[in-house]
Amino acid sequence: MANQTEAGPRKRKAVDGELGVDAVTIMETNQLPAEEEDAIDSNPNNNSVGAGASGTHEVFPEEYEWSCFRDAEIMQQQAAIREEAIKVPYVRDKEPLSALAAEFELGSSILKEKIRLLGEQYTALRRTRGDGNCFYRSFMFAYLEHILETQDISEVERINGNVEQCKLTLQSLGYTEFTYEDFFSIFKEQLESVLQGKETSISTEELLSRSRDQFVSDYVVMFFRFVTSGEIRKRAEFFEPFITGLTNTSVEQFCKSSVEPMGEECDHVHIIALSDALGVAIRVVYLDRSSCDNGPVAVNHHDFIPAASADGSTEPFVTLLYRPGHYDILYRR
Amino acid sequence: MQASRARLFKEYKEVQREKSADPDIQLVCDDSNIFKWTALIKGPSETPYEGGVFQLAFSIPEQYPLLPPQVRFLTKIFHPNVHFKTGEICLDILKNAWSPAWTLQSVCRAIIALMAHPEPDSPLNCDSGNLLRSGDIRGYQSMARMYTRLAAIPKKG
Repeated sequence: MANQTEAGPRKRKAVDGELGVDAVTIMETNQLPAEEEDAIDSNPNNNSVGAGASGTHEVFPEEYEWSCFRDAEIMQQQAAIREEAIKVPYVRDKEPLSALAAEFELGSSILKEKIRLLGEQYTALRRTRGDGNCFYRSFMFAYLEHILETQDISEVERINGNVEQCKLTLQSLGYTEFTYEDFFSIFKEQLESVLQGKETSISTEELLSRSRDQFVSDYVVMFFRFVTSGEIRKRAEFFEPFITGLTNTSVEQFCKSSVEPMGEECDHVHIIALSDALGVAIRVVYLDRSSCDNGPVAVNHHDFIPAASADGSTEPFVTLLYRPGHYDILYRR
Repeated sequence: MQASRARLFKEYKEVQREKSADPDIQLVCDDSNIFKWTALIKGPSETPYEGGVFQLAFSIPEQYPLLPPQVRFLTKIFHPNVHFKTGEICLDILKNAWSPAWTLQSVCRAIIALMAHPEPDSPLNCDSGNLLRSGDIRGYQSMARMYTRLAAIPKKG
């Protein structure tokens, strides 16, 4: 005992001050003399550490601050990023594709050529805020806007079935019902209200304003996160190799740290899971500088076709534009 | 605000219903403010905190459960991931790894797990962290045990 209590302070000269102050504080505030003696007996060096260090104690608050500096700095930076992000709405107004061309006017020739090619198939884009939720937010708006425009009741009935299934999945995985039910009902409310002819029906403008409303928008994003997480955990064996390759963590850990928390970005794994769980096909068009050495520049896209309809007949109606690190919504001709 | 209140009310009912399910945790809501809670948690066995009862203060933001509750130790504790003076806790789920899938009850369980498995590489209490990082397990344990006895074991009689 004596050995280790001596070794401690000697090795840790720099922090003795902290320790000393704490020890002194405790001595002063302690109301139980009997127990205090007892405690000091079991740690004979404690007293001397306190006394010896008290002289240098003024130096050490700084030392302490330094130890917390990284956290404080990170949080400050995160706050700055958030502040920057808040300047643009979650979901922006529709813009012609020429806006994208203008943005890349001075960019690489490959990008400019790809944007020209995009223009052959797509007319417009709608940007979303780059806050780590852009995939889910883009998907939310694109999907609900599609239902609003097509009034496809059979699609609504179909997805409602899937949503119920997702609820059961979470239940069977041991999630407490009250932790996810509010998010499910906010999504179903939105789905209900884009269908016209009811008291609760909403216009595209109202859909846009709801998608910009912090509460509704974030609750729907969180609904998708629950659905994605549930699907990945339900089919852990299928997703495990992808997740191991991506982050080298367990499926459960991945869901806890990279799917469920707000602001965690979406990778292929998430998109596959969400598309499968809801049974909605998603097209992602890639705008990056990749090109083929032999042959003309082409814009790549990938269709995420839900596993349940693997016959390939499903043509995605949700189309997103991916630029490294960010998703926006694309509108077809 | 309305949503967080409703969610907290559900948690309140769950806590009442499951009172006996987790004897190591006693969560209590403030009589007049559902955004303020306190918890009494038992120090996990086979740790220097065994035998101690630690009080936690919860302050819940209006955007709960999208944002995490703020939790701190009211009882003095010597632990690498707890600020010795303020009781602030360094735990990922209370910061960037938070998700609404957590509850006040499961946060308490996570804090108990943190007490049993300190992470000295991200210390809020450098003294405690350095003891562990330098391999002085006995030094850490005796300090932690001392503070448990001083601050967390109720007076007899």
